[in-house]
This record gives sequence, structure tokens and C-alpha cells, in this order.
Amino acid sequence: MTDLKQRSGRSPDASWEPLVPRRSRVGLHTVMGWLGALAVALLVLPLAGLLVNTPWVRLGELVGDATVRSALRLSLLTSIAALAVSTVLGVPLAWLLARREFPGKTLLRALCVLPMVLPPVVGGVALLLAFGRRGLIGQPLDALTGITLPFTTAGVVLAETFVAMPFLIVTVEAGLRSMDRRYEDVAATLGASRWLTFRRVTLPLLGPSLGAGMALCWARALGEFGATITFAGNLSGRTQTMPLAVYLQLERDVDSAILLSLILLAVSAVVLVALRGRYLGVG
Amino acid sequence: MSADGAHDGPQPSSTTHGHGGSDGLSARVAVDLGTFALDVTLHVGAGEVVALLGPNGAGKTTLLRSLAGLAPLRSGRVAVAGHTLDDTAAGTRRAPEDRGVSMVFQDHLLFPHLDAVDNVAFGLRAHGMPARQAHEHALAWLARVGLADLARSRPHQLSGGQAQRVALARALAYEPDLLLMDEPLSALDVEARLAIRRELRGHLDAFTGPSIVITHDPVEAIALATRLVILEDGHIVQDGSIDDVTQRPRSVWIAGLVGLNLYRGHADGTTVRLPSDQQLVTATAARGDVFAAVHPTAVALYRDRPDGTPRNVWTGTIDGLDVHGDRVRVHVAAPLPIVAEVTPAAVAALDLGVGGDVHVSVKATEVSIYPA
Repeated sequence: MTDLKQRSGRSPDASWEPLVPRRSRVGLHTVMGWLGALAVALLVLPLAGLLVNTPWVRLGELVGDATVRSALRLSLLTSIAALAVSTVLGVPLAWLLARREFPGKTLLRALCVLPMVLPPVVGGVALLLAFGRRGLIGQPLDALTGITLPFTTAGVVLAETFVAMPFLIVTVEAGLRSMDRRYEDVAATLGASRWLTFRRVTLPLLGPSLGAGMALCWARALGEFGATITFAGNLSGRTQTMPLAVYLQLERDVDSAILLSLILLAVSAVVLVALRGRYLGVG
Repeated sequence: MSADGAHDGPQPSSTTHGHGGSDGLSARVAVDLGTFALDVTLHVGAGEVVALLGPNGAGKTTLLRSLAGLAPLRSGRVAVAGHTLDDTAAGTRRAPEDRGVSMVFQDHLLFPHLDAVDNVAFGLRAHGMPARQAHEHALAWLARVGLADLARSRPHQLSGGQAQRVALARALAYEPDLLLMDEPLSALDVEARLAIRRELRGHLDAFTGPSIVITHDPVEAIALATRLVILEDGHIVQDGSIDDVTQRPRSVWIAGLVGLNLYRGHADGTTVRLPSDQQLVTATAARGDVFAAVHPTAVALYRDRPDGTPRNVWTGTIDGLDVHGDRVRVHVAAPLPIVAEVTPAAVAALDLGVGGDVHVSVKATEVSIYPA
């Protein structure tokens, strides 16, 4: 106690001193430092391993490999299609969630972003039960139009959209909410119709959020594995996207699996840099 | 399109204003504001500038948003330049974009993704003017506000004063029928405020439609407007000329704003009975409910009880001193609280300090009386 009193007496802001004397100041920075370093190792070392093991000399030959090329082509096609569907449908939904009041909105939002936290394989099962040949929607769809989605390229797009669209919705909704709505008020007092205001004011102001949402959505669609393999299978040229090909090639040709992984890693890095630019850049 | 299809609105390509020969703004606006209701009847003539003053939360901004169509009316009728914009009884309601009502906000709210000239051209384009013509028109407007050389600047490259000038040009360029301004100068620094106030006065003089400007600064109100409307708790407590409002304020709030002591009581001859069981003696006789106003310079303070002619004398405790230019305002707490304005010399001579007791004296001839 005397020690504490002496210390308090010296301190200019004695009232801030804790009543219980600290046993040890040592430790916090050290402990944080070591654990943090461990975390970095855990996150970075695997990527380093990938780079170290890359068969740089075989790159040219591997890029020409039929499996690699078809997976790459299919992945680009389906992920961009999923991004397009997500944007066309997701932006209006985000707008509804941000701007309109209706009963059950909270529940609806929860349901719409659930795929973000749902294990993708569960999503695949759910898609099968809904859009499969005997599914809730799949059966009448097949009966009426003859269209079946499972194990088709369209099925891949559906699976990727299911998993990726919530990222766009959440980002765009946040962007709409943080926007100063008086810009739209000003546009209206200047004579702009709601459509004109949406096109010339809301969308441009939403630009950064929309870009970020689209980048996240596309990256997620590109990396989609669980829902795709469950719902659309692993058919080369039709449903075998890059992540599926990586998984398959690990058994056959590790080098091409590594190459595909490297491409996906590069794409992720580019998306991350683009997002950083949007979040930290001016405007 | 508008509900009645008769909106000939502002035609930016025409050289005349869309409100020729009409009678300005005529509005009765009722809006629920949660704890209280806004209920206002207001007429503003063409070319007239009305300053809207009132304490925070009185409903000033809501009134302007209602007139602009941005906030729905519970009931009422709004007509501008001969067009009915709202009529809840008839079920008429024109959307904000079909009203020809422009609004300038405290923060300029220029579209950040457009440069100055495109901001000004926005309203013209929205009204269907071809791009090239709108651009030239907007450039001319930028020249009018003295910013021709900044046409290609983005809003973030403009100073606060420049941005507010562009916002004003944007609001006026399409020749609206009614101009609303919500504290247009209060976000500016003092220098810019004085300069733009002068310019704004010029633009308002040139504007042929009615205008309403919200302000919290009585000097600004007097500089810009010819008529003052005081809004408190959703109701207009006074609507009159500058002289009327500054010399015969009809609420304690506005009296405080213009620096008068104001009491409300019941006159019976030359005595005014106040609710706090106090009374004031006046020189002029009156009868009925009255306001009694006392200018702070007419309030005398004494250390010892003064004697002499019949006048109003009471004692109180000083609860505040503040300096206004070369005068000191002494706030005296008493059953009849009052503010006295004295010289710093008097403060020193009388040793006036917060917590000290003083005698207050007001000559009967200094109490001005007008009906409540």
C-alpha cells in the first residue's frame, strides 16, 4: 500500500492510477508480437510454398494444357455471368433494402445474406433440392420448358450467383445507406425525374461501393467450389471451373494444379489491390 | 408528369420567367413532427424575399422541405405562380421535380462527380435543354457569379464560398418559380459570408419569383429580406417588416435575438401586471393583454436603492456578464429578470460581478407597450 501511495503521490494524474498495483508491465507487447508473427506465418507461408513449388519452366507448356485452358475459359465465362446476374438483380434488391420500408424486411435481409455464412456445400444441396430434376422449381421447370439446370454450365452460374450475390448486396446496401440522400433531393428540386436522378446522381455516387461489391462478388464467384461441385458436378468443359480443376489435377498432374492455383492467387491479389484503392483512394 | 397536366413550368429556353403576372407563393402547410405539429399559413409575393427565423427545431427546414415537395403534407394547399402544387383536399400533389421549386442548402451539395459547369447545367438538362445550349447557359451563369474560370473545377477543388456560389447558380439557372434557401451562408467563414451576402442580395433582387431564406442571424435577415417571419414550435409568432419585428417583438425568443427585454402581461391604465405577480409602470395607458419591451440601454443599475420619481425599481442578483462590442450586458436574475447594457466603466465603478446584488431601475417612459 505504501508503495502505491508513493507512486500516486508522484503521478500528476493520480486519480487515473489503478487501485490494484500492476504486477507486471512486461508481456503485452511481446506476447502480441509473437502471436501476431505466428498468424502471419500461418497466412503467408502456404502462399510462399505455392510460389516456391511453381514449375516455372513448365509454365508455357501447362498454359497450353487442354484441362487448364478449358477450366480457365469456363471459370471466366461463369464468374462473369454470375457477376452480371448478381449486379442486375442485386443492385435493385440492395436499393429496396436500403430505401424502402416494408414488413419482414429484417427477415428478408437475413435470408438474402445467409449464403455468405452458409457452408457452400449446403448451398449446393439446397440448390439441388430446389432446382434438381425432382426439385421444388426444377420439376415444373423441366416439365414446362425442358430446361434442367444441374450438371450444366448454367447450373454453375446459378451456384456461383447463389454464393456470391450476397457480397454485392451487402456492399451496395451499405453504400446506399451511407449516401447523403439530400443529393437526390437537390436533383429532384432541379427537375430531375426519379430515373434521371438514379442514373445521373445515385449510381455515380454509388460508384465506389458498387465497384467494391462487384469485385468481391466476382472474386467469390471465381473461387466457388462447394456449391458448384455439389449442384453442377465436375464435368470437364461444362462444369469444371478452375477450383474444381485444381482439386482434380492434384491427383493427376500437381504442376497444372499449382499453375491454376497461381492464377487464382494472382486474380485475388489484383482484386484486393483494387479494393484497397477504392477504400483508401480519394473520393 | 404533373397530376393536373397543366404544368407549363420553367422553360429554360424561353427568355421570360414562368411566373409572369402571378401572385407568388401562397401556402397553408400542416405537417406532423412527432412531438408537435407544423401549421403555417404564408404568402410571399413575386420578387419578395422573406427571412424565416426561429429557434432550432421550430420546423423551419420542414416547412421548406414541404414547399419543395420533399416532405409530405398532412393537410394544406401550396400554390406557386398560379399553379397548385399541393392540395390535400383535392388529392393534388406534384412531385418535387414537377414543381419548379429550387432549394439551396447550407452545405452546397454540389454533385461531386460533376464539374462546376455540369452542376449548373444539371437543372437545365433535366428540363430538356439540349446539352450544348445548357452548357453555354451554365457558363453564362457561372460568369454571373464570378466563377467563369472555374467551370471545369470539381466541387472538392472549390472553396466553400465558390461552391456556394455555384450552388446558387445551379438553383437559379433553370429559372424556378420559387427559391428556397436553408441557411445558405452559415457554413461559410466570416469573410466569404459577407461577400456572398452582398452578392446574394443582388441575385435576389434580380430574381422575379418569391424567395424564402432560413437564417439564424438577424443581421443576415435584415441584409437579405424585406420581411421577417418568426416560426416557433411549428407556428408563426410574428410576420412583419424589419422595423416591426425588431422594435415590437412578439416573443421572448425574437426579443432576445434583437436584444430587447420583453414581458407579456395585462395592462390596466399605466400599470402592466405580469404573471409573476410583478408589475411595470408605463407612461402610456393601455388596456388588455400587452407586450412590454424595454431596451437594455434603458435599464439602470445601482448598488444602493435609488430614490426619486416614480419608476420601476426592483432588486436582483447578477447571474451573467458578457461583452458586446464596447458595452457589457449584465444579466440580472430576479422575479422580473432583465438584461441591462452598461459601459465597462460602469461595471468597474459599481463593482458588478456575478453573484452580486443590484437594484434595477427602469423609467416608465422607457417601457414601450403594444397589444399582445
